[in-house]
Amino acid sequence: MYPTAFHLVRYGFLNAVADFKATYTWRSWSFGWLGRMLAQVLFFTGLGRVLDQPGAVRYLALGNALMTCVVDTMAVVATTSGERRAGTLSLLVASPADLMWVFAGRSLHWPLSGFATASAALFGLGPLFGVTWSAAQVAPVLLLIALTALGTYCVGLFLAVLVLNAPRLRNVVSNCAYLAMMAFCGVQVPVEFWPRGVGAAVQAVPLTHTLRALRAVSDGRPAAEVFGPVGAAVLTAGCWLLAAGVTLRWLVAVPARRAGTLDLSY
Amino acid sequence: MSLFLAALRLQLRLAPRSPGTLQVWATAPLFTAVFLSIAEHAHRTDLASFSVVAPTLMGQWALTLGIAGEIIAEERNQGTLEAVIATPGRFSVVVVARILAVSLLGVTTMAEAWLVAGLGFGRWIDVPHPVVLAAALLANAAAMAGTASILSSLFVLMPSARIVQNTLTYPLYLLSGVLVPLSALPAWAGAVGRAVFLSWSADLLRAALDGPAVPRPVTRIAVVALLGLSGYLIGALLLSRVLRRVRRLGTLTHT
Repeated sequence: MYPTAFHLVRYGFLNAVADFKATYTWRSWSFGWLGRMLAQVLFFTGLGRVLDQPGAVRYLALGNALMTCVVDTMAVVATTSGERRAGTLSLLVASPADLMWVFAGRSLHWPLSGFATASAALFGLGPLFGVTWSAAQVAPVLLLIALTALGTYCVGLFLAVLVLNAPRLRNVVSNCAYLAMMAFCGVQVPVEFWPRGVGAAVQAVPLTHTLRALRAVSDGRPAAEVFGPVGAAVLTAGCWLLAAGVTLRWLVAVPARRAGTLDLSY
Repeated sequence: MSLFLAALRLQLRLAPRSPGTLQVWATAPLFTAVFLSIAEHAHRTDLASFSVVAPTLMGQWALTLGIAGEIIAEERNQGTLEAVIATPGRFSVVVVARILAVSLLGVTTMAEAWLVAGLGFGRWIDVPHPVVLAAALLANAAAMAGTASILSSLFVLMPSARIVQNTLTYPLYLLSGVLVPLSALPAWAGAVGRAVFLSWSADLLRAALDGPAVPRPVTRIAVVALLGLSGYLIGALLLSRVLRRVRRLGTLTHT
């Protein structure tokens, strides 16, 4: 009997945990990675201090704090293509198990790390810039961070599948993707600042919706202004995951299997 | 000098094809768009020069850090490290010349940022002090190479150079006023930032694009060059010690 999707994700996740432990110790994550990400929030928020625009600092702090989990999560592109470098991609493609579920679990350490990073940024740094939270807001904020991380993970999986055959581009693609999100999804300036076409395109990105919901929670706006964007974020995340699965199966795995072009190294 | 030029030429040939260079060229316009959108949204058109200088320095530093971490690791992987070390040429000269090549290549990101400001946002930024700008860019590229050579030798001993490379980006940008001048930071942070060449470079580049006059340009460029030279000397000393150590332990080719 073949393993179920749940088992495949679980096995992938065990790999993810091992990978994370091989990359970081608790000390190098806390003082190295987390410190770097908090500095990134301070860096972008710092521009708000010289703008002399009411609310700018708070706006930038909130957006950039949530953005940290996107940066972390987009590492899924690099680790997924790492299977090719490790020489395991051909074996995975040849196995009868659904490769998509393997990949879905394989890099789950990044959204988890992103969740921790963004939580530290929002609750630790946020108050320094006027982003304060009541006890009742903590749970919705944590849920929105988790949704951002998982939604971005789905986007990242799609991009990872696209670069499977061009692993040299893995960092270029992931960096450009998160910077484009940082520029256009409402992190630094409202989406309405950009031309209408850009505003329409970013509606496909889960971050655009989760960030809108987070700002609504932060401002204490009605629940409808939170649930609407949450629904859109879940829907778009699902679409990205589906697109990743379809692309992997029909545009990467099947053609590569037929043509014998999945090298054991790159 | 011929060794220096040969290493410089080699790296100039290799660098344009590397994914790291491609990444910096691809991300510089996006960084510019991020910074400019913040300034434009706040109607602070006077901050346009910030949005050109910051992506330039960030792109250059990212490239420089990348190559500093890779030079020795790549020589090891290719099995050429022993041969390079065995030659009578000074290895620290090879390292700093190769880093300088990449750092100079990073200057192209300023042209990208300038074009994004003009084409994307309609802000064609004047260059009122082209000579100061050119001299500051050159001095900054040299200082980056000198400073990064310190890291190059440390990366030989460190198992996780990638984490160190990542860590040395935003904290450094923040402390050295790459985007926002040091005067906007707390006094203690400003004092620390003054010891970093990047803070002098950032101020100079902004002044060369902004102000009616650049005060004390020669002194300020000399400070950038001196800080870079100190970096190179420390790097050369560290490299010779590290090489002596790995030779003694027989771990020169160990990864």
